[in-house]
Amino acid sequence: MDERLEKAIDFSNYIVTLNNQKRLLKEEYEENLLHYFNGGQFTITKELITFVGLLVNSKNVEDVVLTDDNSIPIKIEDLAKFYEDVTDCYFSASNSYHTKYNILKKQRSVEALVGLKVD
Amino acid sequence: MTKGALLIARNNGELDYAKQAVFLAKRIKQHLNIPTSVITDSVDYINDSLDHTVFDEIIPIGYTNDNNTRKYYDGTLASKTLNFKNNYRINAYDLSPYDETLLLDTDYIISNDLFKSCFDSLSDLQMFSKSQDIANIRDSREFIHISEYSVDFYWATVVFFRKTPNNELFFNLIKHIQDNWSHYVSVYQLSSSLFRNDFAFSIAAHILNGFMTGDYVSPLPGKHMYTTDKDILWKLEDDNFTFLVEKKDYVGEYTAVKTQGQSIHVMNKFSLERIINDEQN
Repeated sequence: MDERLEKAIDFSNYIVTLNNQKRLLKEEYEENLLHYFNGGQFTITKELITFVGLLVNSKNVEDVVLTDDNSIPIKIEDLAKFYEDVTDCYFSASNSYHTKYNILKKQRSVEALVGLKVD
Repeated sequence: MTKGALLIARNNGELDYAKQAVFLAKRIKQHLNIPTSVITDSVDYINDSLDHTVFDEIIPIGYTNDNNTRKYYDGTLASKTLNFKNNYRINAYDLSPYDETLLLDTDYIISNDLFKSCFDSLSDLQMFSKSQDIANIRDSREFIHISEYSVDFYWATVVFFRKTPNNELFFNLIKHIQDNWSHYVSVYQLSSSLFRNDFAFSIAAHILNGFMTGDYVSPLPGKHMYTTDKDILWKLEDDNFTFLVEKKDYVGEYTAVKTQGQSIHVMNKFSLERIINDEQN
């Protein structure tokens, strides 16, 4: 096979694998952003953090009702604590995502991308 | 309230669902810290040859040789047509020893604690409707609706249910659907007459939603991640999976994919059993 084509195919396999791993890492990140409280499921988004932060700053912290991912109204007795929990969860998930993403993008071979070899 | 996981293991002479159940029960204990019971027609085999201590209860059922068959792939190039014993899931409600049950297929490999939150949820019935193919190259429309012009698809692979009158109604309705399967194949325009739990559960959800899309069934936490039986589970170490997934338009060629800490439905039972056997040896 023409060497130029062979190199291109090797690179193409690498890119397919890299993109797969990036996609699965994002799925893992999204799972880690789920927060459960009082029987409700909350996906932590920047919007949720901003809204809850706004309520906390305006001193609306007791018995606040938020709707969860399934549109079920959930009473949050202590919103300041809830805010602390969701921000902790957000930063923990995001930092883990960042670390794993950086490791991934440094891998230069298909074998290294799937952990069968260290580059 | 008692809570636990429930598995169904009915061997078909080729695939060892009992061994898969033992393997999964250990992972359920590790990640979810709940007891596991198994409904099985292979009680003596489990007691004599496998680690039966992983089970809270072993619930015996009679052995039957069903006429249902289907093709089981082991990667893209090899397949076998085997007995497909999938008609006992409808009895899970009656046979579960728990007030709160997490019903799982034996090939759904638990690798995180996400399902712990099911037991804290306000929803009495939870199933996956959203799913993600690890390979991401296949047409996944069959897992969005049960047929091209029909209703929303729900996976029966993992079902969380509490013992409530509404859930009793749900499971009784599924029994009725199974008893009258050919009628429902026609009404819901299914492309195959083979009984599938996913379809029966989806039809029941549709009926109990008032024949509409609705929230009678709540989503389980996360997303249903799966690989089909045309992919191969190559390696499994703790919660790290390495798969060889089918390569688009290149039959017999694969792309390597790695996941970490994600529970995955491994439909290639042959490759799952190889991994389980390797772990035991």
